[in-house]
Amino acid sequence: MKITLTVNGEKREVEVKPQTRLLDLLREDLGLTGTKEGCGKGECGACTVIMNNKLVASCLVLAVQADQSEILTIEGLNCQDELHPIQNAFINKGAVQCGFCIPGMIMSSKQLLDENINPTEAEIKRGLSGNICRCTGYVKIIDAVKEAAHKMRSRGEDDV
Amino acid sequence: MSKRYVGKDMLKVDAESKVTGRAQYPSDLKFDNCLHVKIKRATYPHAILKDLDINRAKNIDGVVDIITAKDYPNLNKFGLIIKDQDVLIKMGEKMKFMGDALAIIIAETEEIALKARDKIGVEIKKLEVITDPLRAIEKDAPPIHEDLSGLCTDYLKPNLNQKNILVDHYLKKGDVKKGFTEADLIVENEYRTQHIDQLPLQNESGYALYDDKKDEIKIWAASQWLHDTQADVAQSINMSKEKIRIIQTAIGGAFGKKEDVSVHIHLALAALHTQRPVKLEYTREESMIAQSKRHPLIIKAKTGVSSNGYLTAWSVEVIGDTGAYASSGPAVVHKGMYHCTGPYNVENIEGTSYAIYTNNTYGGAMRGFGTTQMAFAYESQMDILAHKLNIDPAQFRYQNAYITGSVTPNGQKLGKSVNTKRTIESVIDLAKWEGEINK
Repeated sequence: MKITLTVNGEKREVEVKPQTRLLDLLREDLGLTGTKEGCGKGECGACTVIMNNKLVASCLVLAVQADQSEILTIEGLNCQDELHPIQNAFINKGAVQCGFCIPGMIMSSKQLLDENINPTEAEIKRGLSGNICRCTGYVKIIDAVKEAAHKMRSRGEDDV
Repeated sequence: MSKRYVGKDMLKVDAESKVTGRAQYPSDLKFDNCLHVKIKRATYPHAILKDLDINRAKNIDGVVDIITAKDYPNLNKFGLIIKDQDVLIKMGEKMKFMGDALAIIIAETEEIALKARDKIGVEIKKLEVITDPLRAIEKDAPPIHEDLSGLCTDYLKPNLNQKNILVDHYLKKGDVKKGFTEADLIVENEYRTQHIDQLPLQNESGYALYDDKKDEIKIWAASQWLHDTQADVAQSINMSKEKIRIIQTAIGGAFGKKEDVSVHIHLALAALHTQRPVKLEYTREESMIAQSKRHPLIIKAKTGVSSNGYLTAWSVEVIGDTGAYASSGPAVVHKGMYHCTGPYNVENIEGTSYAIYTNNTYGGAMRGFGTTQMAFAYESQMDILAHKLNIDPAQFRYQNAYITGSVTPNGQKLGKSVNTKRTIESVIDLAKWEGEINK
């Protein structure tokens, strides 16, 4: 069956099977391999993307459920080749080691900061609680989200 | 150079590729005309393979071929330290754990490969399943590896079943008998740790391609021991090392789990067999069943201490469950034993350690390589002793801690950077510990 959806601002028409997952559609059909599969069961958060302004584990969403939806993946985050402040903060704070969790981690951070630009440490931890990282111990990831929030707040003030 | 980098925050060279999703892990690669590989694994942890019926599976539309041991009768065993692991279980031989491979299914799509895998008929003769290493070393326990023996030393106790003992190690420092005689208090306990999966976020996966012009197999997979893996793949399929190229992709975590061969040999065979690009990706369940774990250890610790709180003697027996295969087992139980006293001074020490074959998933490398299990035992001993002596546990640790010049159980004199006391002081600070220590 054919579905239509908007991925990273671009309208796409894709032929999918009933059992195709949103994760497979992104990785296999659209070649967006930045979204990762770690467990296939919605436990690890490596496949996190934003669907209609909500975080989803793309391994638990069927492609047909994403018909007419709007999807944002890690590839859609940097506008005109400039890194998003969250991406910059993850680099600067040394929050990236093996990197496999990072696309999901950044999408969860984006959703968190879109809803709350000044989160407390407890709110950051809750915001990222769906994403497992086995390398870092999370400290530098939390530092990165704090720095990104700070940068995005001051940028917002500049705009005013 | 050191002034430019040491003590400075350096940006990781590949961080940008990882925050943008551009970094390529094995499963992110793409090959045209690629086939999909799945592995039919053991149906019982300890059993003789009596019959393997692949006909129904082979007839499914889209199945390219199914490889069994019959197709490649001259494959050699592989393994990190000891070559004891089969590429494919032969007819009439034994599967030794649930991860053993019986057949390699190659199909046009992953879906078809999975369907075919479930259509393979397996007939077995069940044997006693040994999950407890203490059962494995009883004299009447069946041997898990019939063809492997003689690795044990002459020191091995005669009442133990040598057949299931992969290796034994011994440690001696000072005079442990004298040390226990001098002790005012002796505490003896047994500690047990469990299997732990390293759980790197990226499962084992990879691609392979056979280049017929060069007669060369290229494998794209994440590996911790690139050249060891290359050599092991080559010897297992009887090709020269120069004909195997392993191309390292980005590695999605490993923590010891990617030291062992996983997808590599099966991919190499499938590529050679079909002369087309092939892909094999484990699921998380498969990774947990088929690849290494942190060794569960049984640690019997006996510690002697004087009434004023100085350690006089320590003896330890370490029984490591290495599962069906050796992997890093011989080294892990060895290192664990050497760390039996942790960072504490003891003059008189005696130790024994074993790696025991069972039908569990094999133990391999994981962060700390045997020492973290030991820490659970020696730190528990220290707490119990402090409690019994009525000494502050921080003080007890502090007065026994390594200093420059201390000698480790295996006889290494510590020359510099011995920061145990400073570490304890920091812990006391950070934990807001109420007791005071005499420095």
